[in-house]
Amino acid sequence: MKVSRRSFLSLIIGGAAGTALSPLPAKLMDDSAIWTQMWPWTPVPEDGEVSHVDSICTLCPGGCGITVRKVNDRAIKIEGMKGHPVNDGGICVLGLSGLQLLYGPTRVKTPLKRIGARGEGRWEKISWDEAIAEVVKKLGELREKGKSHTVACISGADRGTVAHLLGRFLTVYGSPNFIRIPSIQDSYELTMYLMQGVQASVGFDVENADFVLSFGSGLIEGWGSPVRMIKANSIWKEQGKVVQIEPRLSNTAAKSDKWIPINPGTEAALALGIAHVIIQKSMYDTNFVNNYSSDFEEFKQIVLNEFSPDDVAKITGVSASTIESLAKSFARASKPLAVCGRGQGETPGSLNEFMAVHALNALVGNINKKGGVWAVPDPDYIKWPEVEMDRVAADGRNKARIDGAGSKRYPDTRYLLDRLPDAINSGKDYPIEALFVVGANPVYTIPDSNAVKEAFNKVPFVVSFSSYMDETAANSDLILPNHVFLERYEDVPTPVGLQKPIIGLAKPVVKPQFNTKHVGDVILLIAKSFGGRIADAFPWESYEACLKKTLGNKWDKLINDGFWSDSNFKPAVWESAFSTPSGKFEFLNKGGAESIKIEGDKQSYPLILIPYDSMRLASGFIGAPPFAIKTVEDTVLKGKEIVVEVNPKTAKEFVEGRHAILSTPKGQAKVRIHHFDGIMPGIVALPRGLGHTAYDEYLVDKGINFNELIGPVEDLVSGLNAAWGIRAKLTRA
Amino acid sequence: MKEQHEHTKARKYGMVIDLDKCTGCGACMAACMAENNVPFKKDESDKLLSITWMRVYKLTNGKKFPEADICYLPRPCMHCEGEHGHAPCVSVCPAVATDYSHETGIVSQVYTRCFGCRYCMAACPYHARYFNWWDPVWPDGMEKYLSPNVSPRMRGVVEKCSFCFHRHQLAMNKAYIEGRRKLEEHEYQTACTQACPAGAIIFGDLNNPGHAVTQIAKPDHKHGGRPMNPHAFRLLERLGTNPKVYYLSSREWVKRAGDNYIENES
Amino acid sequence: MSTSDDKAKEVSAEADVSAEAVDEVETASPPKVNEKKQDNGGLGFIILFFIIGLVGSLAVGWWIFPKLLYSQKKQPIDFNHVLHVGTVEEGCESCHYFREDGSFSGVPKLAQCVDCHEEVMGEDPEELKFVEEYVAKGKEVPWLIYSRQPDSVFFSHAAHIKMGKVDCVICHGYIGESTHSRVYEENRFTGYSRDIWGKNIAGLKKNTWDRMKMDDCAECHAENRAVPKTVETLPWPISWMPRPYEKPASSQIRVHIEKDACFVCHK
Repeated sequence: MKVSRRSFLSLIIGGAAGTALSPLPAKLMDDSAIWTQMWPWTPVPEDGEVSHVDSICTLCPGGCGITVRKVNDRAIKIEGMKGHPVNDGGICVLGLSGLQLLYGPTRVKTPLKRIGARGEGRWEKISWDEAIAEVVKKLGELREKGKSHTVACISGADRGTVAHLLGRFLTVYGSPNFIRIPSIQDSYELTMYLMQGVQASVGFDVENADFVLSFGSGLIEGWGSPVRMIKANSIWKEQGKVVQIEPRLSNTAAKSDKWIPINPGTEAALALGIAHVIIQKSMYDTNFVNNYSSDFEEFKQIVLNEFSPDDVAKITGVSASTIESLAKSFARASKPLAVCGRGQGETPGSLNEFMAVHALNALVGNINKKGGVWAVPDPDYIKWPEVEMDRVAADGRNKARIDGAGSKRYPDTRYLLDRLPDAINSGKDYPIEALFVVGANPVYTIPDSNAVKEAFNKVPFVVSFSSYMDETAANSDLILPNHVFLERYEDVPTPVGLQKPIIGLAKPVVKPQFNTKHVGDVILLIAKSFGGRIADAFPWESYEACLKKTLGNKWDKLINDGFWSDSNFKPAVWESAFSTPSGKFEFLNKGGAESIKIEGDKQSYPLILIPYDSMRLASGFIGAPPFAIKTVEDTVLKGKEIVVEVNPKTAKEFVEGRHAILSTPKGQAKVRIHHFDGIMPGIVALPRGLGHTAYDEYLVDKGINFNELIGPVEDLVSGLNAAWGIRAKLTRA
Repeated sequence: MKEQHEHTKARKYGMVIDLDKCTGCGACMAACMAENNVPFKKDESDKLLSITWMRVYKLTNGKKFPEADICYLPRPCMHCEGEHGHAPCVSVCPAVATDYSHETGIVSQVYTRCFGCRYCMAACPYHARYFNWWDPVWPDGMEKYLSPNVSPRMRGVVEKCSFCFHRHQLAMNKAYIEGRRKLEEHEYQTACTQACPAGAIIFGDLNNPGHAVTQIAKPDHKHGGRPMNPHAFRLLERLGTNPKVYYLSSREWVKRAGDNYIENES
Repeated sequence: MSTSDDKAKEVSAEADVSAEAVDEVETASPPKVNEKKQDNGGLGFIILFFIIGLVGSLAVGWWIFPKLLYSQKKQPIDFNHVLHVGTVEEGCESCHYFREDGSFSGVPKLAQCVDCHEEVMGEDPEELKFVEEYVAKGKEVPWLIYSRQPDSVFFSHAAHIKMGKVDCVICHGYIGESTHSRVYEENRFTGYSRDIWGKNIAGLKKNTWDRMKMDDCAECHAENRAVPKTVETLPWPISWMPRPYEKPASSQIRVHIEKDACFVCHK
């Protein structure tokens, strides 16, 4: 039959009417609304039972207590632990971003063996048995050839059980080359050793200080234990004064009560200028100086003769009247405290400077006193039996250290990692045949990146224990991935700068997410494979057993509270505080304050490049996670380009936001210019923590690593790196 | 409305931020992102497109070296009350996706109701609102840390600080099973307040004279909540948005920078 | 996304096909009549076709469409509520309990079941399956949750059960009296359970527990204004479906329309 047009239309109309009278349109409409509001590809986080686990953050040496919120077996947020003596609930950007490291794409998920060229990024997945066999084979060969001393280990820390296990292994294996990552700790430890005769960490009773004189320390920018320092800053706002001395208006300077711009690198001279005024006006603590110091007269002569305010004003650019008023306020304060170590304190610095600043503390007698500088002994809970070395080990241990620490030239310095690249590259001593890196990322953090890479390439066997594919892991031969801090047990001894000895315990918050292994267990496995004396030195069946045994009766408290502190601790009284040859405090300043000469000549490089640190950019062995990078201002990073700060006077020919080429004797980089009135003319400031060539796509290739533009400058007294900047120039791009 | 208020006195949650203590460390921003499932992209340096419910601004006094000075200013949503809940964003929303609660004083944002017209963004004088130009993407495996308490947003909707309202919801749950309708001050605190290492952020009920926020800001409820503390100020006070975030500063130039002013205005 | 999208297309495509099929069958016989009485027949045909279209689409909308829209899924284990309610002391809250933090535990986790079901109890094959496949392997049972709400919804059980003294049955019905798990019907388009919209495709309901949409929340809150101003209703209805009974839409309620409540139940 033939359906007429009318009939067809009628059918359609009937159909439409029927459809309208059916629930179909309304239901479909409703469903599509729901569908478009809840796209299937938008993740729906699973709900469940909430629990909290207390632990310690080990992403920096700050040692904050953390409370991790979990839903079922997922960690969903890291928060500061209330009641923890370091941070009491506060937390920093990096700590808050910790879960992005745990679950992030930069994790090394299984042991990896390099198959391409170094740094090419081609890896083969291997089993743990194979990985450990590989290490044992290599180390065995070297030991057989009597080359055990050619093995070196770079470690982020030298305290705590993991570092001790590493050190113990190197000892029984037969190598003197355990090297800690450099920081102001090196300079401060040496200062304490030379002036007070003690092997101790330095602690600052910042909470009780009422006048803080900071020689360029980024007090609220990551210096010391960052959260604790920010908390202290809030206390100072209510009851205290802070004077910040540095060439750039840093956050610390902006928050201080007074910012004193100074010619960079002349801080030691200023400290001695202040000492001059204090001594000349007899404002020093006569009890301390007369009864507990040995060489005050000598010090006095030098200071009075060479560091008059007028002379110092010429060197530092700080007016004589300012020096005088500073000295008066400092000496008259009831609990004055002088600190140094630039920025976050990642570069050690000149020993003269540290000693000059510490001399100020001595002059006002605030050593081991409330609000002052304390010598803090390490909590001595690691009491393992002495190791018994075989002959190979004893021979190896007797060889000189590759970095020159403890040598005749630098007898009192313990570690000199900054000298390692040169020692390897020059081939003066002996070659390094195997290098282990634990809790550190030296390829990124050590100055003169090119030299560091060259040195790495000269080492035939580099093993990284990194949990993440960082620059060092990327340039290694074998990666034995450690658990991240949220997956493992680890003791955390007194955080840097804390005035009381405490022990924190990091504990597993979640199960290991990948095929990783605790570095402590790996050391035990390697040692056991050797057998003999080496195996004997490690009588524990696992790292956890070792830790539990080591902590002994503190274990239960640590598990319950997350930390252990010695509530009875008091710093040594002056009578017994000093173990110098004289038994008293020694000012020791014979060299005066000659400033460290930075690299580059004034003619070719008219400007000075200095780094600056920020809480928002992790510049240590951990790269900034996505949250942290997101908080970075567009006057620091724009797209993939780094922005440098220059005084508008200096940058006259450069338009704000435009490109320029920044060159130093070490290298050059394309940068953008930011006119900043808070910086001395003639200076260029570059943020640290950018320019990563590894890590995830949120961080990689953004900006430039400051360490590519600067090399180390050796401090003549200590051998430590004292480079605070480098000469530079800006040219049009 | 009145009879309903009898059950529980209306609260008015607000914040005081001490700019003298704020160090610009950025912990509040990261805490907020971690708490509220805020997504991130490869490049976050275009700040107009970068979703930061809490954003720390850097203010400068505009003077030359060495008189230059800087101050950081954390900016959450101001949760404006306007006049009787007539917040700038609420009054323009055609979808009732954003609303002023007389119960808590919080300006809500319901993502599933929002259809992305962005009128509210134009209306907000504080740039506190952000649009999702892209669908959120977490790298493989990272979605494991997402919190079930805040629903992840989809492309095409506006989002903003909620004063961590989900924490209020959860705290109320706890109160309910304990037979209470009232919350103690410590039971409901925002993530930024909790994280701030400087203790610069204080949060609480501006209607409760016992809460620290009220004691510090001393809001004059008869005059649109103006602070009676001479060191306290609100952003763009003269617009009459009646915001519930107060700032403290001892620096005169910072207080001036908190409001639009003409160069030579006294 | 693509799957549900395809399914949506499938739904409409099949609906068309069936409509045409009906059409062909009905139109096969009466062509001759059409030729003789053209005028009257024309009208008749027009009416006939109208009726065919009407009936066909009604059939599609009321009968075929729901069948296509929902897929039927069986629960992993056939659960007997009656059996369990008989052995516990505190009713629903014995298993579906409140945690200390005030959150509601919902469907029990395996750990709770294991307390009793460490070993196989009785001879039910479902019990055997449960112990062998889940308890022995330590695997959570992937229960299909009839009342699962979208991620944007924050529903406080504490507010309703503890403060409001609302009985579980009001929303969940007499599920505690079931001896078998009923079929879980999943909306192919949205992925949610049919229980949210309700069994009745028109959205009609007889009992409070027949539907779990936002309007139902609003309705109950409007009726029982005992609860301090939580959700009342939106300024306009979000659903245009007729209601089974008149809302108590007295002028009083209209006055009490509050639109500041979204955040109470949304996240």
